[in-house]
Amino acid sequence: MNKIFGSACVAMSLVCAVGALGTAYADEFPQRPINLVAPFNAGGGTDLLLRGFAPHFAAALDGDAYVSNMAGGSGTVGAAALAQQKPDGYQLGYWSITVSTIQPQIKDVPYDVDSWTPICSVAASPTLLFVNADSPFTSMDDVVAAVNEEPGKYLFGSSGPGAMTHLTTVAAFEGLGIMDKMKHLPFQGSGPALQAMAAGTIQFFGDTEILMTKGDFRPLMVFNDTRLESFPDVPTAAEAGIEAPLDELYLWGGLFAPAGLDAAVAEKLSSACETAVNSEGFQEFAAKTNTVIDFKNAGEFETFFRAQYEANAMIIDAAGL
Amino acid sequence: MLGSLPEALSILFSLQGISVLLLGTTLGIVMGALPGIGSTVAVAMILPFTLTMEQAPAIMLLIAIYAGSVYGGSVSAILINTPGTPQSAATCLDGYPMAQRGEAGKALGWSTVASVCGGLASALLLIFAAPQLAAFALNFGPIETFSLVLLGLTCIVSVSEGSLVKGLLAGMLGLFLSTVGGDPITGEARFTFGYFPLISGFNLLAVVIGVFALSEVLTRVSQKIDSTRALVTFSGIVLPRLSEWKGRVGNLIKSVAIGCGIGVLPGTGAATAAFISYAEAKRSSPRASEFGKGEPDGLVASEAANNAVTGGALIPTMALGIPGDAVTAVMLATLTLHGVSPGVRLMTDNPVLIAAIFTGFLIINLLLLPLGMLVSKIAAPLLRMRESFMLAAIAILCVIGVYFVRGNPFDLLIMVCAGIVGFLLRRQGFPMPPLVIGMVLGPTLEISLRQGLIITDGSFAAFFTGHPIALFLIVAAAGMLSLPLIRFLRARRLKSA
Repeated sequence: MNKIFGSACVAMSLVCAVGALGTAYADEFPQRPINLVAPFNAGGGTDLLLRGFAPHFAAALDGDAYVSNMAGGSGTVGAAALAQQKPDGYQLGYWSITVSTIQPQIKDVPYDVDSWTPICSVAASPTLLFVNADSPFTSMDDVVAAVNEEPGKYLFGSSGPGAMTHLTTVAAFEGLGIMDKMKHLPFQGSGPALQAMAAGTIQFFGDTEILMTKGDFRPLMVFNDTRLESFPDVPTAAEAGIEAPLDELYLWGGLFAPAGLDAAVAEKLSSACETAVNSEGFQEFAAKTNTVIDFKNAGEFETFFRAQYEANAMIIDAAGL
Repeated sequence: MLGSLPEALSILFSLQGISVLLLGTTLGIVMGALPGIGSTVAVAMILPFTLTMEQAPAIMLLIAIYAGSVYGGSVSAILINTPGTPQSAATCLDGYPMAQRGEAGKALGWSTVASVCGGLASALLLIFAAPQLAAFALNFGPIETFSLVLLGLTCIVSVSEGSLVKGLLAGMLGLFLSTVGGDPITGEARFTFGYFPLISGFNLLAVVIGVFALSEVLTRVSQKIDSTRALVTFSGIVLPRLSEWKGRVGNLIKSVAIGCGIGVLPGTGAATAAFISYAEAKRSSPRASEFGKGEPDGLVASEAANNAVTGGALIPTMALGIPGDAVTAVMLATLTLHGVSPGVRLMTDNPVLIAAIFTGFLIINLLLLPLGMLVSKIAAPLLRMRESFMLAAIAILCVIGVYFVRGNPFDLLIMVCAGIVGFLLRRQGFPMPPLVIGMVLGPTLEISLRQGLIITDGSFAAFFTGHPIALFLIVAAAGMLSLPLIRFLRARRLKSA
């Protein structure tokens, strides 16, 4: 009995000693399964992506990882809960551009730009502005002329205030200087908004290519630095006359840990993320789901994230949120 | 589509096809019966298992789970007054009193037959008229939706047992609760008093389970429990005899029509359909005074309608590739994962798959009857548990179910508070269904009204001009409201004459 107690003591002091040394902690990491928080309901886009990603991430770490959902408040409930967790690397969240850079600037949420240790970005898709296929508009010049002719007549939709779809339309019309001559009609989700588009209730909508190709829609411009291979005739926002920083918009998402994570652990997680993203299995999953992969390591992602936070402040201002 | 029928049938009547249909429907019924695991959660839970399956079986499994769960929700609503999903809340109103009277088997019999009829009719509609109905649904803009929801709100009058004033107050409370959280137009946080967890508002399911199930447990506990008796006596489904259907077929047909119609329209859903259908049945039934005390007409109305919604909701999903609600959104995601891109060309590009889905949906609804009887036969011994144990088990199920949906501990607090408040309000004679109707319809009412006002530049009068459907619905709502008054006045005149 004493022997067992003695070895337990040794083991415990060893664990304490390991815990005290950051690099040693990183060497032993992970000891436990890692919780990946999806801030939306099971079955949604974020949830699906994360569930496709988790097994490859676990394999790359030589450990275990599972996905848990904590939904509500446009993703802020999950993010706020994670921000208050210990930065031990066992609790990570997958935040999109809106959860991490938009919501904290339009709502009073208990986290901000400094609440996180960015780990890696996983996906990024440029957004497009589009109209119904039977719309009279074939270029942004047509749109500007029509709106100036009849101010207050045209409506653009969104999947909700502060959503990516809202930012896209705001960037487009603010960038072209016709924002205050148009009306914004928010919906609860992209589905109802696209139905309203097909019905002609709204004339403009902005979302990623995956969503746009679901209906009979015509893209007018893309918020990317170059034209898309799939739509070589559709101009970029810059070509359509929109100036930086409103000319590029990407629906991106990546892994975040609470601020103050040990740099060596962050490094380990980031390289595991790179291995997982580049794995054959995940590449195949991404191809099936039309996910545009965009890996950035911890350092690159931190710079990108902070720049995005700043740039989006301007769009939020223009949106009047 | 008919040309690809043989190939579709060969997919369905393979070993995999049949086992998927049987297993999916059974699982759906069981999951729907468990409080909290509504259709959305059930479908999302099964989704990862479909990844290794082929296209048609994968989507068939999800549809089977969907249809099964809508039916399953009625089982727990009738037997233990716990709606498995909000769409079964209206089923509690007459189902539970019947069960308390010792007619649980009969109540389930009515609801099963009504569910099967509703599901089958909507399946036929899906097969023969999907593109046309989807096109019609596009006529429903925000203003039309607002008018429909307004009509739905008049149901509060029908489901207010006892005092109309108390019913209206409960309805207002429900409407008010639905305004807490993010503003749907500006995104600002409303009525949160700076308390962050309230930012996502009061979760509908947590409130529904609190005011129906938990408050019932509290009411039971506060009364003297006979610890040796079971809560309800139930030994299996008893199907209604043909002669008992006399005078109820019209109600069934009307309820199915209401369910199909509302299912096709965007943004409303099964809970709304069940309540509107219930209210209409009560208005027109010769047995109106028995409603709320265990009248089969009420059960038939809500169950036929909520199952008819399933096929209706699939119509815009399949014809336009645009999901109508969270459940159909998960289904479209599944199609994407299996390499089918949903969209306006879904039906023309994948005729075999669509034919398999549609005929499969028909078969699933036929399966509801035998499988429902089987599941309740197996569940019957569980219900012979002592009442005290049963109440504890219900309370535990409520907690698990509510936490499971969003993983948000705050929802548990909401459920417990709703349970206590519901218990106190019920003691004072406030009916709970109006509160649920208020919460279900509140968000749609608000966003459609505000969207409508944005479109018309703030003019409410413009709602009536150029929107014939909206005008018709608003007149109908006004009619529903003034009907009791007209009846009252006529009765007085007859008396004085």
